[in-house]
Amino acid sequence: MSFIPLISDQISEGYVILITGLLIVFCSLLTLSLFFKFGLPVMLYVYKIITKRKDKKISEIKVEADKDFTGEIAAAIGAAVHLYLDQQHDHESAILTIKQVKKPYSPWSSKIYGTQNRL
Amino acid sequence: MKKVILIFCVLSLLIFIRPALGLNSNTNTTGNTPISTNQVDEVEESGSYSGAFEGIKQFYNYTGFANATSGNLLMIFIGIVFIYLGIKFDYEPLLLIPIGAGVIIGNIPFVAGNQTGIYETGSVLNYLYFGVVKGIYPPLIFLGIGAMTDFSSLIANPKLMLLGAAAQIGVFATFLGALYLGFSLPEAGAIGIIGGADGPTAIFLSSKLANGINILADGTTVKNLIGPIAIAAYSYMALVPVIQPPLMRLLISKEDRKIKMKPPRAVTQKEKMIFPVVALILTTFISPSALPLLGMLFFGNLLKESGRTERLADTARTKLIDIVTILLGVTVGASTQADIFITKDSMLIFGLGAISFVIATCGGLLFAKFMNLFLKGDNKINPLIGAAGVSAVPDSARVVHTEGLKSDSSNYLLMHAMAPNVSGVIGSAIAAGIILSFLG
Repeated sequence: MSFIPLISDQISEGYVILITGLLIVFCSLLTLSLFFKFGLPVMLYVYKIITKRKDKKISEIKVEADKDFTGEIAAAIGAAVHLYLDQQHDHESAILTIKQVKKPYSPWSSKIYGTQNRL
Repeated sequence: MKKVILIFCVLSLLIFIRPALGLNSNTNTTGNTPISTNQVDEVEESGSYSGAFEGIKQFYNYTGFANATSGNLLMIFIGIVFIYLGIKFDYEPLLLIPIGAGVIIGNIPFVAGNQTGIYETGSVLNYLYFGVVKGIYPPLIFLGIGAMTDFSSLIANPKLMLLGAAAQIGVFATFLGALYLGFSLPEAGAIGIIGGADGPTAIFLSSKLANGINILADGTTVKNLIGPIAIAAYSYMALVPVIQPPLMRLLISKEDRKIKMKPPRAVTQKEKMIFPVVALILTTFISPSALPLLGMLFFGNLLKESGRTERLADTARTKLIDIVTILLGVTVGASTQADIFITKDSMLIFGLGAISFVIATCGGLLFAKFMNLFLKGDNKINPLIGAAGVSAVPDSARVVHTEGLKSDSSNYLLMHAMAPNVSGVIGSAIAAGIILSFLG
């Protein structure tokens, strides 16, 4: 008979975990998002003040300045660069010859010091 | 060269026919009477025949044919289906093919006691499986994921982080469902994390909670559910393109599906560098039990974004994660040994896994709709991206993208969907940490 209370106990504990768990997950991600919404601009502003240019206002430093530069523009530029670099390949010189390689002398490749003829 | 082979062949032939030619030195040196040697020979001959027969019989008893059970054959068939799905339909082939091969490897019938099977101490597979049982592989995978992931879309639009949290409803709802079905608290916690749609996290949590070693409050040992949970998590992750689209169509109206979001702003490198450090500190202070996962995730991301450790980041996101994925896939697959895997519990886990996936997707979608109530005009989000809140990086984001394209062929949602997607990873790791701190 002690089985039933055990189960109900488990389930009530389950509800506790359910509610607290969801709450904590939400809160932690909320804190994170709030930090990046508000905390980060302030931090960047403070950083700017510490390093240089004290006359700038926070609204100017906000990344809103890059508003026009969207991911799409970046993608377009990236695609263009990629295509250009790809084309380079086509304009290679068409002369395919085997060039003679002249090896400078090196004791490492010397035939004198082979295994057969020891000094 | 030919001559050498020829000499070798002749020599080996000579060795084999030596007894027949009477060259055996033993028979020459014994010096017994002919009669007795005859007798000995006869006895030996009949003995060797029956012995050979016995040997073949014994050999047969050691083969897979003699030891095969219907469960083994069924699991081998499932392994082949996994491989087929991976190759034919391109459903996460990087996972399904190693797991499918692992399932076949793990279900080849063998005689116990020869250090062959994955559950026998001392076998090679058992050593490789150690990384799963002790939760070593998942943090390494997270390191690679961190070094791959670009968090910029999340930094550009931090409110999308909440979608990743909303999808964790699936985790906790499944947890409750498992409790109602009679699983104990730690087992239910490990089953619930399937809803996080994150293979490494699921393995990590089940290796800590449902590992077959821990002892419950009432004195019984917890069940070993790592195999079924990992297989369920990975197979549902692979099935994201099948599970999610119908739910999206069901819950999101046609007009809502056409909402175009404004492109995310460009994020400065400084912000990208600050993100992993701050996120690491904030999230692990809240949920320290998730430290192995989140620590490695953000460490990997810092390697990527710092701009000074490109070599390390490159290794983490290519070679290292590949190596770990291979080992993880094969050993998780091999852990589905039929006598341990085919149980009622596994079937229940598969059922619960599907439900948790559905709930997680619905949670994300509905929360996105809910958020839209408070957002105006340009800031409105396309509710479809809520479905990407289940982690399954980057598959669910891709599904959202294709689904968005179906209703409006000029609506590119991929970058927007990546934000809830990566926050889903963070969210499920935090959820795992919370469950671990409650039940571990």
